[in-house]
Order: sequence, then structure tokens, then C-alpha cells
Amino acid sequence: MKRVSLFSFDFILLGATLVLTVIGVLFIYSSNITSTGLVFSNEYIKQLIWALSGCILLAFFAYFGYTRLRNLSLHIYGFVILLLLITALIGKEVNGARSWLGIGDYGIQPSEFAKLALILFLASYLRGVGNGVRELPRFVLGFGIALLPMGLILLQPDMGTALVFPPIFLVMVFMAGARLRHIFFIFASGALVVVLSILPAFERLILGRELAFFNLISNLNLLKYLLIALLFIALLAGWGYFRFKRSYFYWILYNDAILLTGVLGSLAARMVLRDYQIMRLIIFMNPRVDPQGAGWNIIQSVTAVGSGGFWGKGFLQGTQSHYRFLPQQSTDFIFSILAEEWGFIGGMVVFLLFLVILIRGIRIAYTARGSYALYVGSGIVAMIFFHVMINIGMAMGIMPITGIPLFFLSYGGSSLWTAMIGVGMLLNIYQRRWR
Amino acid sequence: MSLELSSGLRKPSFVKRRAIFLFISIILSFIFLSSNLFILQVVKGLEYERRAQAVARRQMPIPAQRGEIYDRGYDIPLVVNRDSFAVDIIPGEVGDNERQELFRKLSILLNITVEEIEKRVPPRYYHLYQPIEIKSGIDFETIAYLGEHIEEFTGVAWHNKPVRSYLEMGTLAHVIGYVGDISREEIQILYNRGYSFGTVLGKNGIEKKYDEVLRGRDGTRFRLVDVRERSVKKKSIEDIPPVPGNNLVLTIDRNIQRLCEQALGERIGSVVVLKPATGEVLALVSYPTYDPNMFFTDKAAVEYKRLSLDPASPFLNRAIQSSYPPASAFKMVMSTALVEEEVFPLDHKVNCTGQFEYGDRIFHCYLRKTGHGPVDFFSGLAQSCDVYFYTVGDALGVERITYYARDFVLGAISGIDLPGETSGFVPTPEWKEKVHHIKWLGGDTINLSIGQGYLLVTPLQMANIVAMIVNVGEIFRPHLVREIRDPVSGEIISVVEPELIHTSHIRKSSFRTVQKAMRGVITEGTAKVVLTTEAVEIAGKTGTAEVGKEDKWHSWFAAYAPYETDNPEDRVVVVVMVEAENEWEWWAPKAANVIFQAIFAGQSYQEALDTLKPWWYVKWLQEQEE
Repeated sequence: MKRVSLFSFDFILLGATLVLTVIGVLFIYSSNITSTGLVFSNEYIKQLIWALSGCILLAFFAYFGYTRLRNLSLHIYGFVILLLLITALIGKEVNGARSWLGIGDYGIQPSEFAKLALILFLASYLRGVGNGVRELPRFVLGFGIALLPMGLILLQPDMGTALVFPPIFLVMVFMAGARLRHIFFIFASGALVVVLSILPAFERLILGRELAFFNLISNLNLLKYLLIALLFIALLAGWGYFRFKRSYFYWILYNDAILLTGVLGSLAARMVLRDYQIMRLIIFMNPRVDPQGAGWNIIQSVTAVGSGGFWGKGFLQGTQSHYRFLPQQSTDFIFSILAEEWGFIGGMVVFLLFLVILIRGIRIAYTARGSYALYVGSGIVAMIFFHVMINIGMAMGIMPITGIPLFFLSYGGSSLWTAMIGVGMLLNIYQRRWR
Repeated sequence: MSLELSSGLRKPSFVKRRAIFLFISIILSFIFLSSNLFILQVVKGLEYERRAQAVARRQMPIPAQRGEIYDRGYDIPLVVNRDSFAVDIIPGEVGDNERQELFRKLSILLNITVEEIEKRVPPRYYHLYQPIEIKSGIDFETIAYLGEHIEEFTGVAWHNKPVRSYLEMGTLAHVIGYVGDISREEIQILYNRGYSFGTVLGKNGIEKKYDEVLRGRDGTRFRLVDVRERSVKKKSIEDIPPVPGNNLVLTIDRNIQRLCEQALGERIGSVVVLKPATGEVLALVSYPTYDPNMFFTDKAAVEYKRLSLDPASPFLNRAIQSSYPPASAFKMVMSTALVEEEVFPLDHKVNCTGQFEYGDRIFHCYLRKTGHGPVDFFSGLAQSCDVYFYTVGDALGVERITYYARDFVLGAISGIDLPGETSGFVPTPEWKEKVHHIKWLGGDTINLSIGQGYLLVTPLQMANIVAMIVNVGEIFRPHLVREIRDPVSGEIISVVEPELIHTSHIRKSSFRTVQKAMRGVITEGTAKVVLTTEAVEIAGKTGTAEVGKEDKWHSWFAAYAPYETDNPEDRVVVVVMVEAENEWEWWAPKAANVIFQAIFAGQSYQEALDTLKPWWYVKWLQEQEE
């Protein structure tokens, strides 16, 4: 049996992580200076400090055996839930969301760390149930583990961060062997909730007319009958399934339940979500409906990215960014300033670095010793993957603006630490693969 | 331990499948992102680069110097540009608690109300870094004061904005016009010709007609701004310098203009002096007039309203924009028709008893009681005998009269280079029936024969009647601009050549006969007592138009001199028209007498009066002494 080597590091993964972090500090610096070269913010210095402390965290989690984390996962999860509760009650409000917890200028966003806590605890749960995940009640319970922090984050309200939780859950249970029909159910009804929630705004702003069939849902009177009908079908199909054990009753019930969840979910969403949040979801389809307001960010970001061209305008030479047309350059739109100044080449370098991290991540998860490591690894991969897709898609105008950071690059201690810890865990799993 | 080991090394088969699925999904997602990035940056890169430039680029016009205007002497300009400034506020540089105080101080310094400033800088502009013009036409002293006390006026700036200055205008306002800021209606029409908001353009007269020559081409100052409209230092594009407008040299002779102005005096009316050989207008006077400089003062709006409502219509250029019944002056046209058509011999005598019977109507001669007795063509025109011309008109018939009126380009604009010329009116039987639903009667023809009734002629058209007789059948387009000159070097860019606008088929000999008869008007006719000048031989025709007012008539005098010359270039046509609004004193020929004396003796108005000593002047002098 081989001894664990303290130096059997995945240097490729570590290298990619560090290069991305350095690029992040560079572009935070770029976003911190004006066109005349005046430095007006010291965010890049703070980011540097966070990067260095993040490295220590990374090293810690790379050596701290994940089996010990597994034993602690319930405590970690519970602690984070407690933090989220406190945040929802007394957190500091920034940009309309109560997502900060801290004293004075120093604080953390518990919602970032909540993703890690979910990954650790869910992995532990899935390992415990083993093949049981194929059973519906255990699957649902697992989903409940994901929904709890997600719901607390929605209360802040921080829809963008909350939306990352279901994909993490889905990828983890997918790797744990959950039934595809269960996964598809969540995927389909979730998609339906989103579509039905934004449909009124879509009709009003983009289509300019009402869709006749949609009256069923927007008109409360008709909706009543629709719900009764769906419920009736569900009962009938349920009764038929238990009475006759015919599979087509099952599928009727399945589809009916997707519809029912979608309609009820969208009803709830429309009550919970604020107008501006729906507006952000709709605006990426056509930012021109509100070019000075909700569409401004998308238009300026796409212009910044597009105007970068193949080679880019050069480091510190961006106009969209340095003339401040581009908003939130150091956080949400860090990719836009990078793409403007480094062009297609720079964008591709970033893509490749992320791709390296993700592929190494999958490999590490797959070759991991034990199912817990597999689940943790795939959860971290899912977390990084969805952040990259949503953030970069947003910068290019093909995803709605949800305000979630781009790991390693975006300014912000909590997200950087979360990503670094994630990478640390991956390295840890990698090291222990042969023991 | 062993269970954990085995589950770690040998995973269920679905793990591998699902890991591959995950792997492929991630790869495909990144291919999707990359291709989108490629489309955005490489395929559409240039388009977005333009957009990025457009969002940050601002351009401001650098106003071009407007061309100056000279009279035909080309020595001292009539219109120049005076240095002047406009004061701006850059709202973003003004602190919230300084604003009130700044507006108050500015309102005192610039002599405007705080409300006016607040109207121009509403709260929604407070964050803007774009200069907003508060007031223009500020003199250098005020700007110097601002400059010395700039620390008290944070956020205040100024820029050069020359204003038009009209020197010694007198009655030239009607010729030269004035400039003003472009209006919403004008910009709709002129947008495609490079005019934009904030453009200053000619509103009337030469300033309007030659706007595109005078205006030059505005330059452009480019600057880059950030999201708050603050200028960014970096310079990317060179400014486009403005091209100054060209100078104009008018055909107007400043001295003759002044002379005609004085000869007309404060009588509502107009004077036209032109060279028949070229169409050059030497003087174009219309009274009352206005001072175009008032458009650049604080009282502009009030003054404009007052002048607009003035019943004497000072904005009206009576020489080209008013038409009147020509009365006896039309007999020049009738005479030409008679001589050309030979409806009866020129020595045929018509016995004037003071009245002319036509059907059941009786038309009177102006000598009602006695009549002129037997008159032939020459004495008929000299005495302006109405009965003689009633007979001529009756013999010619309305068709031929209107044909000849049209041949003298009546009822049509002359095409003078001024805006708003009216065409006058030549009545026809068809017109009368269509508009008034009454048949054209023989009596209308009789009336038309002495230039009364519906016929309307502008003073400029009257000058063209004389010009055609002088030129034996040719009329040149009356014009006011002689040359266009380069504003810097003074070199001539283009010269306005005489332009023949009408050639008549009437025999030249007929015109010569009419000229002889017009000379008779001065030597032994109606104008004999008044046209006393010996400086030059004059030929012309008087006219006294009834307008239905008791003891008031329009007074016409249309003439040319010298009567005989080897050089047609020396000839000038003078038309004086005095409206019936004035005290009746038969002024037109009296004014013309002084004008001819002064032009041909090279005298001023006063010198001409002293030479001529006309009885009315002597009488006036005596009254002054008493």
C-alpha cells in the first residue's frame, strides 16, 4: 500500500487556479483605475490579501482529511443554516439584498459558504443512503437538504445565488445514481416555474400582445379550474395506478405532477419575486426594452466584450470600462473588462483554465477513493461549472443577469475563499486516491 | 474499511457513464461559450467597436465665421461679426449647496432672472458635465470680470459666440435682413443640408437668400466622455476646423441708398433705383424700416412683437412685397401697345371733353370740367389724358391689353435675389368670372386702360416697365449681389453676370417712340413743373392712383435718365412710390427730381436741394425762419 505523499499534488489544477486568481487581481486593478491612470479604489489590494489567505485555506483543506470533514458535515451544515438565518434577520443590506454578515466594512456572505456546506452534507447523506437514492422519499429528502439553504437565501433576497443550489443537487444525485425520471422531474418543473413566472413580463415587453392560452394561468378564475382539473387528473391517475398497476397511469401522474408543480411554483414565485428580478430575467432576451434601466448593464457589457475584438484593446486600455460605462466591473462584469482588454485570446485563455479545473475535477471525483469523495468532487465541479456558465453567459448577453460572481476572478473574499476551499478539497481527494 | 476500499476502487458501472456524460456536457458548454465569444468579438467585433466609440464620443460644432457684406464700393463693410461671448453652466461641477448662491450671483451679473437660469438648468441636469448655455451676447467686460473672480463662480464657463452687427443700416434692413437661431420648422426643411439645432441662419433678405454662401461650414470639435459626460483627456480624433463663409459685395450704392432714403423722408412708400442695362439695383428703399440689431438685444422679443403689430408694417419690404394700382404710370404700357398695334395713327386726335361715354356709363378725365380738348398720342401721354387712353383701351380690347401687360412681365415675379417677392396681378375676363362670378364688362377694360381696377404692380415691376422701354425690349433680372469674395484673401470667387429674363417681340422703333413720348412728359407734360433738374435729361411718367380715400392718392413716378446717351451703362431707372396713407403732397416726382439731380451732379441730398431750390423747399425754409 502506498504512503500518501505530501507532494503528490495535482499541480495542473493548482496551477490553473493560481493563474486565474492572478488574472483576477490584474483586472480588479484595471477596474480600479480611471482612464487617466488615477487609482480610485484599493479593491485589488484587498483581493490580493484574500487570495493569499485563500491560499492558506486551500492548503489547509488540501491536507485536512476529508473523512474528518464528513464527520463534521452535519455540524457545518447546521452552522451555516444558523448563519443564514441570522443574515436574513440582521444582515447588512447591499444592493437591495440582506446578504452580508459582519462588523463595519468587514464581513462575509454566508450564502457563498452555504454551497460548500450543502455539498459536504449532501455527500454525506447520499453516501449514507447508498442505493436508496433511487427511492423517491430519500430523493425528496435529499432535495429538502438543498432547498433549506436555498429558501433562506431567497429570503434575503438573492435569487442568483439561490438558483445555483438546484443544479449542484442535481449533479450530485446524478452521480450518486438517482433515477433519471426524478432528476428530470425537478429539471422540468423548475424550468416550467421559470417560464411561467416570466411569461407575463415576456408578453408585455417583448411580444406586445397576450397569448390566449396563457389566460389559463394569468386569469385567477380560470386558474382555479385548471388547478382543480390537474388535481382531479392526479387523483384519478394515482388511484388508477394503485388499483391496476399499469405504467401508463404512472406517466400520466408524472406529467400531471410536473404541470401542477410548475403552475403552483410560478404562482409562489410571482408572489415572492419583485418586479426588478423578473425584469432582469426577461431583459437578456431584448435589452432594448429598457436601455437606460435594466437593459443598461447588458448593453454596456456586450458592447465591452464585442469591442475587444480578437486581440483586445490592451491591458488598462479599455474604454467601456475606464470611462465607467460598464457597471460593477470588479464583481459581476469582471469578464467583460477582461474580454475588452485582452480580446478573444484572453477570453479563450480563461475558458481553457476553467476547463482544466473542471476536467481535472471530474477526473479527481471519478478516481476518488470512496463514494463520499466522488459526491463532494462532483458537487464542487457542478458549483464552479454553473457559476462560470451563468456569469460569462451574462457578460455576453446570453444569460439573464443574476449577479453571481465569476469564481477566482470576481472581486470578493467570500466567493474567492469558497472557490479556493473547493479546489483545496479537490486536491485533498486527489492526494488520497490511492491510500 | 474493506467495504469502503472496494466501493472506492470498483464503482458501479453507471458512475463511469454518468461521469462521461458530465464531461461531455461541460465540453459542449464551453464550445457553446467559445463560439458565442467568437461571434461577439471576431465576427461582430467591428460593429461593437463602433458602438463603444459612439457611446463615448461627443461632437460639438465650432461655429464658422459668417461672411461680411459690403456695398458696391467694397470699402467699408455694412455687416460685420462682433466678438461676443456666451456664458455656460456645467451643472455637475456645481455643489448642491452652492447652486442657489451661484444662480443668484449670475442673475445679477448677466442681468437675467434666477427663474430663467433655473429653466435652462432643471434639476434633472444637475449631475451633467455638459456645458449648458445660459445667456449669449455677453460683452468682454463681463467675461473679464468672470475670469478674475472665477473662484466665486465654480462651474461657470464661457465660449466665443460672435454676433452679427449691422452698421449704418438705415433702410438697408429690408435688403440685408437679419439672422437668428434656427426654428423647429426650419430644421425640418433644412436638416439634410447640414443645418442642425443651434445653427444661426439668415431669416430674411440677403442673409436668408445667400445663407449658404455666407454661413461657411462649421467645424467639429470631438471629445471623449465618460459615463457622467465628463471629458476624458485622451484625444483620439483631430478636430475639423471651420471654413469661414464668403463675403458678399452688393450692387447697392450706399450713397444712393442714403440719398433715396432722405428723398423719401418719413413717408410710407418705397424707392427703386436700378441700372436697366444690367439689372443691378443701386438702391432699394422701403419706409418704415427697422433696426436688425435689435434682434440681439435683451428687448428682442418685446421689440419684435411691437414691430409686428405696427399698422405701418415695418417688416414689409414695400419695393417688392407690396403691389398697387399703377394708375397713369400704366399708360407707358398702353402707349407701347398702341404704337405697336397701330390701332389708330399717332397723330389721330381724340377730343377730350372731360368725360367719356361708354354704354350707359360715363368715365371722367382727371380734368373733369374743361377736358384737354383735342389730343394726339404725344400730348395725350404728356398730359396723361384719361379720355385719350380710354379710347386707346377701347380700340385695343382687354385681350391685347393683358397681352402687353404680360409682355412687360407684370403679374409675374422678377426673380430678384430677395425672399418674398410678390407677383402683382394682371386681371383677365376669365379670372373675374371665376372669382367674382360677374362678367367682364367693357367698363372694366376702360378702367384697366388707365391702370385702375384690379391691376396691381410692385414698385420693382414698375422699374422693369421702364427698363424694358429703355432697353428696347429687354429686361435683365434685377439683382442685389455683385460679387462673392473670399473672406481671407478678398479675391473674387464669382461675379454675378447680367441675366436676361425677358425679350419682347415688340419692334424696337415702337419703344423709341414711347421713349420720345415719355421725354415729353418731362418737357411739356404733367411733370414739367416738378422735374426741374438740369443735371440730366429725364424721361418718365407720373401716376396718381385712386384708392377710394378722399383727398388721398398713391403717388407714382417712374423715369429714367439720361434720355439720350452713347453708353447705356450710364442710364438709371428711378421709381418712387408714395402710399396714399401719407398727407397728400404729390411727393413721388418731387423726390425723383432730387434723386436725379443728386445722382447725375454727384451731389448729396442737401446739395441737390440747395441747387434745385424747389418751391416746396423754399417755402419750408421760409416757414422755418418764421
